Amino acid sequence: MLKAHLHKQLRDFPLDLKIQANPGEILVLMGENGAGKSTVLNMLSGLLNPDTGSIRLNGKPLFESASGVVVPVESRNIGYVLQNSTAFPHLSVSENVAYGMKARHIHKDRIAQQVDHWMELMDIKNLADVKAGKLSGGQKQRVAIARALAIGPELMMLDEPFTALDTESRQSVQDAVCTCVSDLQIPCLVVTHRVFDAREIGDRVILLNRGVSCWEGLPSDMPDAGIQSPS
Amino acid sequence: MTFSFPEPDNYRRTLTTIGAIVLIASVTLYLALPVVALFFRTTPELFISSLCDPAVTSALWLSLSTSVISLGIVILVGTPFAYVHSRNTYPGKIIVDTLIDLPLVLPPAVAGMALLVLYGRVGLVGRYLDMFGITLAFTTLAVIMAQIFVASPFYLRQAKSLFEQLDPSYEKTARTLGASPLRIFMTITLPLTAGGLVSGAVMTFGRALGEFGATIMFAGNLPGVTQTMPLSVYVGMQGNFNIGLTISILLVIISFTIMIAVRFLAGREGRHA
Amino acid sequence: MQKLWNDKYSVYICIACLLLCAGLVAGCTTSTSQPATTPVATASATQPATPALSGTLAGTPAPVNVVPATTTAAPVTVKPVPTYTPSEKTLIVFTAASLTGVSKDLGKEFSAMYPGRTVVFNLDGTQALKTQVENGAYADVFISASNSYTNTLKGEGFFINSTVKPLTTNYVTVILPASNPGNIKSLSDLATPGKKIAMAASNVPIGTASYAALANLAKSTYGQDWNKSVFSNVVSYETSEPAVATKVSLGEVDAGLVYESTYAAAPAGTLTAITIPKADNYLQTYTIGVMKQTGSTSTAQEFEDFMLSTIGQQTLKDYGFRPVS
Repeated sequence: MLKAHLHKQLRDFPLDLKIQANPGEILVLMGENGAGKSTVLNMLSGLLNPDTGSIRLNGKPLFESASGVVVPVESRNIGYVLQNSTAFPHLSVSENVAYGMKARHIHKDRIAQQVDHWMELMDIKNLADVKAGKLSGGQKQRVAIARALAIGPELMMLDEPFTALDTESRQSVQDAVCTCVSDLQIPCLVVTHRVFDAREIGDRVILLNRGVSCWEGLPSDMPDAGIQSPS
Repeated sequence: MTFSFPEPDNYRRTLTTIGAIVLIASVTLYLALPVVALFFRTTPELFISSLCDPAVTSALWLSLSTSVISLGIVILVGTPFAYVHSRNTYPGKIIVDTLIDLPLVLPPAVAGMALLVLYGRVGLVGRYLDMFGITLAFTTLAVIMAQIFVASPFYLRQAKSLFEQLDPSYEKTARTLGASPLRIFMTITLPLTAGGLVSGAVMTFGRALGEFGATIMFAGNLPGVTQTMPLSVYVGMQGNFNIGLTISILLVIISFTIMIAVRFLAGREGRHA
Repeated sequence: MQKLWNDKYSVYICIACLLLCAGLVAGCTTSTSQPATTPVATASATQPATPALSGTLAGTPAPVNVVPATTTAAPVTVKPVPTYTPSEKTLIVFTAASLTGVSKDLGKEFSAMYPGRTVVFNLDGTQALKTQVENGAYADVFISASNSYTNTLKGEGFFINSTVKPLTTNYVTVILPASNPGNIKSLSDLATPGKKIAMAASNVPIGTASYAALANLAKSTYGQDWNKSVFSNVVSYETSEPAVATKVSLGEVDAGLVYESTYAAAPAGTLTAITIPKADNYLQTYTIGVMKQTGSTSTAQEFEDFMLSTIGQQTLKDYGFRPVS
């Protein structure tokens, strides 16, 4: 369970957001470009720090401006798939997926087992030994997602994960993400600008406008005004 | 076959083609002919017999060993420096940026003079070193110092620009996956920049190998100690022409090998993401 | 048909022209190139002192083929010859570098004596100048610091042999920085381990002279071990005499072997010297001669006459050179 209150002065406006996501829940963040969606994810991951606020994941404080707690990025155990899928091009698919576990010095047998498991789920097992630099955009995306899930995170965050995918792969990736999230029972934040995707996978939607939430609710109840149509 | 006069349009194209070929040829010949002339000035027998001359072997060994050491130091110190410099902003960063390029525009003789005035026995710093019995000028170490001074920009500029161009999201992702900064550097940053770094290193080696002006000023000219191959060529030109010629040819061969290595590595790197 | 002409034939024409050019170039270079063996023979002929010294130099780095470069400004030694076209009015004189200090006055006095004439001096180690001339550099007059180089050039046909005459002489001396950082009190101190000595290379005339003087001193007074130790104290072999003097005046070495004239002409307080006894010293004889290739024999001869005249000789004397005995 994620509970966060973030406040940060951005260039044009202050960002002020209260966020709560339950285990197994997919929370979709939507809004125009520059509304602050990616900044929210960056702050939750620790790559950026809010000016004031607090972030608590499963009861553990990751950030607390009042008491000065700042857990470094490396120790937050959050699976974060950044925009423009960033599969490491010089490593093979299996090396990519294993990366996070290796960094945590997990035993190599367990790593091998986990890598197999996640590659299977994201349907990239047949590409295990291929260098990620040679893959298509969609395949790279799946590698990135498998890699993030493999570390056994307590929170998953995906920034525009479906943009590089064609219709077929988008469907299967969405299904995979939903299954994984509900199996692992972890909260999941997805940033997307597509209404269609929000309706497909989201349990709840937050509309962000100039740093503040202007609407929260179920995807089916989403107001159409002020939202970009699916491209 | 019947010959028909070309139309004005084709006539212009012909001229352009001829012009282009002449241009390319003249530039190529201007660069290649002097080098070729070196080979014509001696005979294979004379060349091979001079290879055993102690003047040649000592210069060869000295040049290669000092250049390798200089390169090693530049890589070991320069890589982390370039990384830290490219990933951070700090007061005076612009000045440091400019200083990195300084040895490229400074005449080598001036560089040598500067090193002598600083580290020489009566130099600003050298006089204190002298009190502890440490000598820098006229030693093999001086050769290495001179080489590092003039050749390091080739590597530093390359490394700096490679690190700057590397998409920071790779390193950010690695951080979120739990990797320490050292692990990120070794497993992500270095492998993705390796090709460019190696070609920068190769050019640094070539420059260090060919260094003359700063060496002769700061390190002096003593066979076996500070008489590198370029110094030996210079010296040989005025005395033992044959030795000078042999070493010149050796340097040409080494330089060509370096060039080919750079081309090959650049081609390899292009195939990475 | 026309397409063929544009692409294929233009290429063929160009290739043909290129081959023609390459052939011409190759033909020219082979006809004017000297066989590589000649310079080797020349070099060994101009180092008479070295074989005699090789016994005394055992154990020291073999400087036979060493011509270290100048420290004053590296490009001085092989700088391009000034681009004056040979003319009646301007003379190009290749001059041994030890005359650097006196050359300015000589030039002024020559122009005063022969109005309308100017002299351009190309100053460098005699061995470097000899190489330049042998490779086609233009000179009207050649002042050499070494008899053997002069003889070689005469033999190669570069001089108008009848004009070659002795010009002046010079002895070798040991100079020290004024502060004497090496605390050298006598010639025997030169062999003390740890001293730093600068010397010219063996194929520079002052180098040959230095080697000879040291050999004489070893034979008469100090012994072969002394000679060996002196040479092991040498830290750099320079390619011209002023370069040695520079290293000493910078204070970077403890001692250097140069000509007396250099010491005599040095500004007061920069250098001190230790005299080498005349009996052991090596007297260098400079020669002057007019080059065959000169564009104006009369003007070149005028310069030679000036140098040998009372005025020229007095100026040399003022700068510490000795007259021809």
